[in-house]
Amino acid sequence: MNAVFYFVAVAVGLALAGLLFWALRGAAQRKSFDHNSGGVDNVPSPVNNMAQIRQSMDPADFEFAKAKGGPGLPGRLRHERRRVTLLYLAAIRKDFEHSLRVARIVAVLSPEVSSSQEYERIRLAMIFRWRLQMIKIRLLLGLIPQPQLTALWQMAASMAMQMEETMAKLGERAALAAELALQSEKR
Amino acid sequence: MLELPTLTLATWGLATALTLFLLLRTVLLRLYRTYPHFTLYLGANLLQTMIGIYSYQSYGFRSVYGYRTAWATQAFVVIARGLATAEICYRILGKFRGVWALAVRLLVTCGGIVLISTLYFGIRSYKLAVITLDMSLEAFIATWIVGLLLFARYYGVAVEREAGMIGLGLGLLSCCKLLNDLVFERHVQAYLSSWNYVSSAAFIGILLLWTWALRRPTAEAAREPHLNSAQVYQLLIPQVNEKLSALNQQLSQFWRAESSKP
Repeated sequence: MNAVFYFVAVAVGLALAGLLFWALRGAAQRKSFDHNSGGVDNVPSPVNNMAQIRQSMDPADFEFAKAKGGPGLPGRLRHERRRVTLLYLAAIRKDFEHSLRVARIVAVLSPEVSSSQEYERIRLAMIFRWRLQMIKIRLLLGLIPQPQLTALWQMAASMAMQMEETMAKLGERAALAAELALQSEKR
Repeated sequence: MLELPTLTLATWGLATALTLFLLLRTVLLRLYRTYPHFTLYLGANLLQTMIGIYSYQSYGFRSVYGYRTAWATQAFVVIARGLATAEICYRILGKFRGVWALAVRLLVTCGGIVLISTLYFGIRSYKLAVITLDMSLEAFIATWIVGLLLFARYYGVAVEREAGMIGLGLGLLSCCKLLNDLVFERHVQAYLSSWNYVSSAAFIGILLLWTWALRRPTAEAAREPHLNSAQVYQLLIPQVNEKLSALNQQLSQFWRAESSKP
């Protein structure tokens, strides 16, 4: 046994033991799945507060406040603007995570899953999280990329809405199928 | 038997008593219906002890025959543990057919890679080949149980307390045995006496964990989930992935725009 393999194997053994505890944390508290799983309902969306968020980020508003409020106001506004943008990013992330959760529930309750689709989603989620963190860091360093963030929000919102529509359609179909089955049983 | 050190006899006796107690408990609580392979594993452990006592009494602790018997019976115990692990894995994820099939494909591949690489890189001499084989099997079992619990965590699948604790015990035991074997292979002479104690101590610890976990019967079994038709997945998932991909593309463009700023 060479030294490299020995140290790698010891590290892997310890990592496996650590992962074992981590993977089991809160395992009993997880909810069981059924058709009306709570995760599919109550889609959180930043849509409702978007008008206010956009107004607070509007450059015209910013210029107006600057002209009227004196030299002290721009700094305060910048600080507020950054805070709002971070909240905005958090809302986008929440939407994204919710969509991922719905996808996971659909996968778990499916009799067949495609490994390529599952792998693709894991990959995309990892990239998304990493990029989002990088953007947050840049924001905290003082850059406020408003147009790009608006585009991001639109993407997330449209995804959540489309998911909702599809889930509603599926619900209708399931209800129809159940009703048909009930009718045929009665006959 | 007299040539065995007192501490070895004590740990051996304690492990046997605990195994017997646990086996009786699984019978009394009728857990053998839910976990037949786990019960078989406990039974295999007791059988190994009985064969060990007979062989050491007849041929001596340091005889070649005793050594061969110990390792031959150990092979059956490891196989029984592998079956118990598969049973726990199926108990946790088996009812979700699609994800279970995916997990099996992935974990067989990962476990196979771990097993073969441990055998290939770990073997030093034919004298210690049996230790290397034991190490490979332990690594395979640990990979399986950890991988499966990671799957359960990722998909948010609830794990019954009993199954979780038995799984934790099986996984920890394999990790401990793997690390113990690794240290033994590296420092054969210096570690020879400690190897047996570490192995027994780990087993006693896991038996205590199982005894605590199985102190009372489960209130009720988890309900069988009602699976959707395969069409739901085929319809929804590509859409989600497409949207996630588009969202990532958007982030990528944003990232590039930011990077190109002076």
